[in-house]
Amino acid sequence: MRVKITDGVHLSVVPTTQFKTTRISVNFLAPLQLETIGARTLLTSLLEMSSTKYPTQAEFSAELENLYGASFGINVARAGRVHRVSAGMQILDSAYADVNLLDDAFAFLREALLNPRIEGGSFDVATFAREKTNLAMYLNSLSDDRATKAGLAVQASYFADPAQAVPSFGTADGLDGLTAKSLVATYQEMIKDDQIEIIMVGNVDLEKARALAASFGFAPRPSMQGTLEYDQPVLQTIARKTEKEQVTQSKLNLAYHIEGDHFGPQYYAALVACELFGGSPLSLLFRNVREKESLAYYASANANMMRHFMMVQAGIDAVNESRVEELIAAQLAAVVSGDFTDDHFQAIKDGMVNDRKASLDSQGFIADLALSSAMLPDAKLDAQTELTRINAVTREQVQAAAAKMKLQAVYFLNGEAH
Amino acid sequence: MTELTEATGLGERMVSMTLPNGLVCHFVPKPGYHKTYAMFTTQFGSIDNSFRTSSDADFTTIPAGSAHFLEHKLFDKEDYDAFDLFGKSGASSNAFTSATQTSYLFSGTTAIADNLNILLDFVQDPYFTDATVEKEKGIIGQEIQMYQDDAGWRLYSGILGNLYPTHPVHLDVAGTVESISEITPEVLREIHAAFYHPSNMVLTVVGNFDVEEVAALVTANQAKKDFGPAGMLERGVGPDYDLETILPFRMLTMPISRAKGIVGIKGTEALGDDLEGLRYAVTCRMLLELLFGDSGETYEKLYNAGVIDDSFFTEFTRGRGYNFIALGGDNVDPAVLTESLVDAIANYTSSPDFNADRFARLKKAALGKFYASLNSLESIANQVTDSSFGSTTLFDVPAVMESISFRDVQAVAASILNLDALSVFHIMSEQTEGIADE
Repeated sequence: MRVKITDGVHLSVVPTTQFKTTRISVNFLAPLQLETIGARTLLTSLLEMSSTKYPTQAEFSAELENLYGASFGINVARAGRVHRVSAGMQILDSAYADVNLLDDAFAFLREALLNPRIEGGSFDVATFAREKTNLAMYLNSLSDDRATKAGLAVQASYFADPAQAVPSFGTADGLDGLTAKSLVATYQEMIKDDQIEIIMVGNVDLEKARALAASFGFAPRPSMQGTLEYDQPVLQTIARKTEKEQVTQSKLNLAYHIEGDHFGPQYYAALVACELFGGSPLSLLFRNVREKESLAYYASANANMMRHFMMVQAGIDAVNESRVEELIAAQLAAVVSGDFTDDHFQAIKDGMVNDRKASLDSQGFIADLALSSAMLPDAKLDAQTELTRINAVTREQVQAAAAKMKLQAVYFLNGEAH
Repeated sequence: MTELTEATGLGERMVSMTLPNGLVCHFVPKPGYHKTYAMFTTQFGSIDNSFRTSSDADFTTIPAGSAHFLEHKLFDKEDYDAFDLFGKSGASSNAFTSATQTSYLFSGTTAIADNLNILLDFVQDPYFTDATVEKEKGIIGQEIQMYQDDAGWRLYSGILGNLYPTHPVHLDVAGTVESISEITPEVLREIHAAFYHPSNMVLTVVGNFDVEEVAALVTANQAKKDFGPAGMLERGVGPDYDLETILPFRMLTMPISRAKGIVGIKGTEALGDDLEGLRYAVTCRMLLELLFGDSGETYEKLYNAGVIDDSFFTEFTRGRGYNFIALGGDNVDPAVLTESLVDAIANYTSSPDFNADRFARLKKAALGKFYASLNSLESIANQVTDSSFGSTTLFDVPAVMESISFRDVQAVAASILNLDALSVFHIMSEQTEGIADE
């Protein structure tokens, strides 16, 4: 259930006794902009390690230990056109602790989010400098993992909007101009202007939760307007990029544009088509490219409907590049032409239904679902509706959805540089 | 009728039974959950590279990677793939091999009875041909190569190579392209016969199911099969607590941007799989948190000096015949990192973090984290399975944690923080300029 705390600030509570913990998240939502992605990411590093009352990382962490090893973290994510900063906390249910930890947890969240270590209009200069260096090194090191590197590279080729083309946590270059003072402005804008969604999952009473959510004292602000989805026109040309590196395994990544009708029949058909094409061990990519032809250790596809984007990724031997690309195209063509059995089609849908039901055993997933529902109040995202809509997808709808998947970019990391 | 025993605690209930053929089963019903997670595990992993049964005069030595190869091949049958059978009800299936165990699992929300029969049958009914074994070599070869590019994995593998150069725990679980080329259907048949007898296995089921129904189903499934009596099984691999073999330092160079360093300390005390062993392991993990946790002065000092960052980790591993500490992370200059860590270990008694007050707080946090881990069916199944090969249960953990005193921590520290058992491994960053411009 979602209730309004003030304009632009809402609370969603999912009461359940399934878990031994209560999960709380405070989500700050703003339009995705290239200029602010890096600043918001660096801000989370500063907010999650100290505050006025707990000025050192040691004191900050010690307080979490006092709360029976409560976990706390702040991360960033992208949902379509939205950039999200999420502060999350998980505490033990009072049945397993000798005190009621819920009030203490909110006191900690208020301290961390509302009393950061800002003095004289600036974050601590030494802390800022170190966190900026650490984050830049971390961002640069992401390409040490070649699967990640290839995934980011094909997105950089595919997306026309520069804010979509970069990772949701930014790039090292994007941190260059930031200062300990400029980050204070980033912080104040986030607290003052962002749409805020507070989510609680656990054995909690709605009235108690409402009082705790109100205790932040967030001022009213406008909610975000307009569609959250990102889309771009389909191009007739395919952007191709190859890089060579001295690594053992080569990576082949493909980016496709996909169509969806915002949680309508076409949306679910596209999800099923992606699953059949490459989304599970029962998929055509897994069966035929990996198992039957032994041409890849992994070969899979995943769809991001909020960004109208599907990515195929495969780890291969460099000599097999063109053969693997042909085989990938052939698997998608098989979905388009209906070259799959009814039993296989049903097993794919059953797998998706199973996965969605199984996700309800994760407190984190339930919280994510509540947040998505809060962000997309017009979509019916409850588990039962989703299951019904997946089950209703027909073969013909899947073929039609696959026919609209258009290859737009190919990235090949060639490991044969020795 | 096989006797069911029941244990309760921590808001959980566990029902157990041992079948006439020796198979141990644990059932943990979680009525509020949607899925059921079942894990079928044999005490056979990558370190078990030689063995002898009652019919053998000598030990049989098998190629490195055989346990993992067998894991892959068991899914593949004459006219079907076990993946697909699970897939018929939408269940998902997987398997993994470690140094000491191989586990097969499924997770599903419907048709639990069918899926349990599939799990038991595909693991217990091997089918291998020359053709399918040859084909698998390509797939596993790719897997082996992929890990070669993973710097985090190479770091871990590197310190194992330093601490255990003469023990198979240092070898890649998947073997090498050369070693797996020697695997034949005959090898797979032999190891399956030796290590997959029910008396060497445990079945753990956690989730939303009816315990009595599932117990009856497993009993009936096993009663239909004849495995013969559990024969003698002697493992060729021995324990390794030897200081003499340790290589104190090695390094390698990789095309990565962030260099890495790791410090390992080889355990020289044999730990049982009883309460005392559990107690030692829990104490050792608390010791590492005490000395290097992020609420300590040591962590803060190293972090603020740029010696460690968020990549910093510590861990204690207890396996069959070995145990060790590992700690490390990223640094532009790995020597700065590992020298600081060795220094902290050498002087731990004078660490400001090494005190009883801080320990009391960490104990409270450890208890909370243990309870939180019981949210996950997978975590419960792993913990139940691991303890099943010994004499402790999941329910012993909180009492063991409560009973540990700071004096116990001091004793474990004195036993394991042994500079003679310490080793260091570095991965340097290599400049790859020019290659991308070709």
